[in-house]
Amino acid sequence: MRFIFNLTRREIRSSWRRLLFFFLCIALGVGSVVALRSLIQNLTKAVGTDARALMTADIEINTTTDFTPGDLARIEEIVNRSGIVEARNEAVTTALMARPLTPGNNNVKFVELKGIEPPFPLVGHFETSDGKPFDFDLLKNSGAVVAKILLEEMDLKIGDEIKIGEGVFQIRATFDEEPGGSSGFRLGARVFIEKKAFDDAGITRTTGRIRRRILYRTSDNPTELVKQLREALKGTTLAVSSYREAQENLSEQFAKTENYLSLTGLLILVLGGIGVWNVARAFVEQKRKSVAVLKCLGASGNRIITVYLLQILTLGLVGSLFGVLFSQAALWLVAWRYGASLPEKMTYSVNPATAAQGLILGILISLLFSALPLLQIRTIKPRLLLRDDNNLNITRLDRTKWLLGFFCLAGLLGLAVWQAGSLLVGTFFLAGLAATSIVLFIAALALTWILRRFKKFSSFSIAQAINSLYRPGNQTRIVLLAVGLGAFVVLAVQSLQSNLVSEFDFTRNQRLPSLFFVDIQKSQIDELRSMITNRIGEEPETVPTVRGRIAFVNGQPFDFGKPEVRQQQGQIGREFAINYRPNLDQGESIVAGSWWSDQPTDEPQVSVEEDMAKRLNIAPGDSITFDISGRKLTARVMSVRKLDVRNTRTAFVFVFRPGALEKAPQTFAATVLKHVPATDRQRLQREVLERFPNVQIFDVDDIIAAIQKLINNFVIAISFVGSFVMLSGILILIGSIALTKSQRIYENAILKTLGAGRRVLATILVAEYGLLGLMAGIIGAGFAVLLSWSVSRYLLDIEWIFSPQVPVVGIIVTAALVTGIGVVASFDVLFRKPLATLRSQ
Amino acid sequence: MIELTNVTKIVRSGTEDLTILNNVSMTIPDGQFVAVTGASGSGKSTLLGLIAGLDAPTSGTIHIDEDEVTSLKEDRLAEIRSRKIGFVFQSFHLIPSLTAYENILIPMEIAGQRDAASRAEFLLKAVDLANRGHHYPPELSGGEQQRVAIARAFANSPKILLADEPTGNLDSKNGEHIFELMRQLHQQNNVTLVLVTHDPNLASQAQRQIILKDGRVVADETNHGDANTSR
Repeated sequence: MRFIFNLTRREIRSSWRRLLFFFLCIALGVGSVVALRSLIQNLTKAVGTDARALMTADIEINTTTDFTPGDLARIEEIVNRSGIVEARNEAVTTALMARPLTPGNNNVKFVELKGIEPPFPLVGHFETSDGKPFDFDLLKNSGAVVAKILLEEMDLKIGDEIKIGEGVFQIRATFDEEPGGSSGFRLGARVFIEKKAFDDAGITRTTGRIRRRILYRTSDNPTELVKQLREALKGTTLAVSSYREAQENLSEQFAKTENYLSLTGLLILVLGGIGVWNVARAFVEQKRKSVAVLKCLGASGNRIITVYLLQILTLGLVGSLFGVLFSQAALWLVAWRYGASLPEKMTYSVNPATAAQGLILGILISLLFSALPLLQIRTIKPRLLLRDDNNLNITRLDRTKWLLGFFCLAGLLGLAVWQAGSLLVGTFFLAGLAATSIVLFIAALALTWILRRFKKFSSFSIAQAINSLYRPGNQTRIVLLAVGLGAFVVLAVQSLQSNLVSEFDFTRNQRLPSLFFVDIQKSQIDELRSMITNRIGEEPETVPTVRGRIAFVNGQPFDFGKPEVRQQQGQIGREFAINYRPNLDQGESIVAGSWWSDQPTDEPQVSVEEDMAKRLNIAPGDSITFDISGRKLTARVMSVRKLDVRNTRTAFVFVFRPGALEKAPQTFAATVLKHVPATDRQRLQREVLERFPNVQIFDVDDIIAAIQKLINNFVIAISFVGSFVMLSGILILIGSIALTKSQRIYENAILKTLGAGRRVLATILVAEYGLLGLMAGIIGAGFAVLLSWSVSRYLLDIEWIFSPQVPVVGIIVTAALVTGIGVVASFDVLFRKPLATLRSQ
Repeated sequence: MIELTNVTKIVRSGTEDLTILNNVSMTIPDGQFVAVTGASGSGKSTLLGLIAGLDAPTSGTIHIDEDEVTSLKEDRLAEIRSRKIGFVFQSFHLIPSLTAYENILIPMEIAGQRDAASRAEFLLKAVDLANRGHHYPPELSGGEQQRVAIARAFANSPKILLADEPTGNLDSKNGEHIFELMRQLHQQNNVTLVLVTHDPNLASQAQRQIILKDGRVVADETNHGDANTSR
């Protein structure tokens, strides 16, 4: 053993420079896995997976209608019987426009209004910004406690008054963190008022987007009580949930996200593994004579393999440790660059367990990818010290090699399954990676084949460069695969971004409204129309809407006891704005059934939007019973419609045949297409709110801008990860340059002897890497365009436009990058004296 | 004792078989100094490699004492080399990543010797390189490298020293020095020394001289006049 440890130590001392790429490949891979995993873990922690605190209760019953006295009686009876309920409160929420009453302050903003009653919160803590515990007295007599950001957004201070609906509220305090409210997309900042004041402000009379909650804190496991409540409330749209179920869902979602992101990290690590494989191959090749000497001196093949394995393990461990440090640096970089848009509570340190996982991964990848090259040590015969016959006569089937190859593949699958947290996903990941690699590899083969045909038409330098791509032991295809894969990821994301952004481009989407007014009363419609026309210079289009919920589908109520139905509750249990009209709108098309016939009928008929039809699992001929202001109305499904969201002013899920809804209570919605400056939109919103406090206005331009920002951030994040894939490819490129360097030196020495000048040799070098980069860029860009087309077409269902800018720039940048790196890494070759090189051969 | 019986070695060269050694038989008793000479390509180095078990003959047997090395597996051969055989090459074949001292240490560490460090220092002194032990091979001259190689070959006190043109890459002064060193070590330790050389002067100083031509032994004679030629 002493021999093994001593030789390992000495070998590391002398070879670490040569194995630097090995080290970097592992460091980059491990760093990516640990950074991505830590990022999502810290985000999870910051957003909060404590579902009890998020719910601010143990049980929640929520609805978008009023609780009927019957419902309330049933609920109370069961709750009282259970004997485990300690405390109860109610809350009511909606999104509404708010405006300051301070003269000269013309701001108008959407706020998320929440009416609460004591005790609040039932679970968790609530502090105002000054660090004092929340006191319910702050809300009494039209007081409001608001999120601190609202003061900045609306240029307000504590003591100022704001008007929401018909109510006027004085801002008494602000808070930094809301109990249970740190997650999810919000239309505006949170404003707390008394529940009583919420009803007094006239909001409940005019808007339908209200959610009411009854919350309970229990002294024992609430599962049984939830079950009883669900049973009792079957057939209603009341949803009962316990924090335990929410906890499970939330944890599952975050774990899935973490595992998927880790797979991206694993992809980088696997690419790092390819780098390791390359370096290990080169290393064994360089060590052939040393191995033969050791064998000649009496060391067995297994002992020598153990020495180099130990060396790899040590380097793998150190590389992984470096990777962990690197991941910490990456997290700090994220904090510095994106800290402002991430949760305030977010921490940016690497979790020790994740770091340990990264170390294990790094070592295992080092082992799996170096095992096969190291096995070559067995075949190195000591006789090569006497006669170097390059071991060419070993042609028999090497069972050990195949067995080890199989073992490595199984090991890799194990790692993928471990990282994905699922056998299926892990297997798909590996199979997907293999398939992508094979496709890219075939493309690389085809391109190099085509290139070879061009050799005869080329100058001496280009022909030599093409020859170089085919030199024995060349790494052309592996570099094309690795760099091409990196370029592919980066360019696919860029290409997808350009399509996504153009999807929200107003110049292309002429019929997307800029302002959207809802909850307009019939009596207000004419005056509002003239207000908008005067201010904007365009007459708005108005449509009647009726509010209704789905009560039954084909006579059956939803069974929210079933988890899969419960998951859809937000979509199917909500209140819908229903429209009625005789014609299909522009941008709508029928995908099943037919539009209203000319035959008069008494039967209410409805057309359903395609996605909702899938969600409800219905087809033309089925029936849906709606609850419209307490009245049940059963309609026959006549058609399923596809909506081109880009080309519709309104997107109604349910459209009725005229005749059934005209007498139901209705409001109007109005849309404006013309895009006017933000100040004009703000002024109009304020005027409308002053005149009609009940009308809600959605500034679509504002929302779209927020979505575009979201897409850009998302793209930056993916590109960031993609650039690591690219970096792995570059490392493989550098490793492969090192691998063939001695051959290049020898070739250059011969060419110099034959009269080639440095200029010719430099041209060959630039041409070789230029061609390599060009081919990698073409492969990456080609497949990126293909992927962005298929994702746009089949996954996102958006229009795909080919913009040549992304692939062209991508190809140029990739070629320049590969040329630059290749030339820099090989530049010294040009300055070697030929005699010394030729003598040493 | 080294005993070769009808040893033939054929290698494939392109599409043709090339006979390097052809039915060679010989016995070398313990402690004898044998010089093997012959033209380039006559099979001298191959003969040495086969004795050391660095390669296997196509047919025939080779015995080192009681072990028939031709029937042994790679690892067992390595063990025999570690215990019984020292090898010196024309191009030294030191491990470039190890210092001179560590190169000498290696065979002893492979064999698991306890006093490896002190013996390595002793051997460095013996080859007159006491102050060069911390140098790496590329930092040493050819003569110095070959002296390190000789010290390494003697590290495990082998019974047999096989030297493949050890002076071939050296100038005459260094060559003489190396040859003298090997002869001294041979006499002091009573090892069997098989020396492959082109130099007739060196060969004449051996106790026995074997001449190879086209893979056959064409002469096998001792220094004291009682020549014994075989074909």
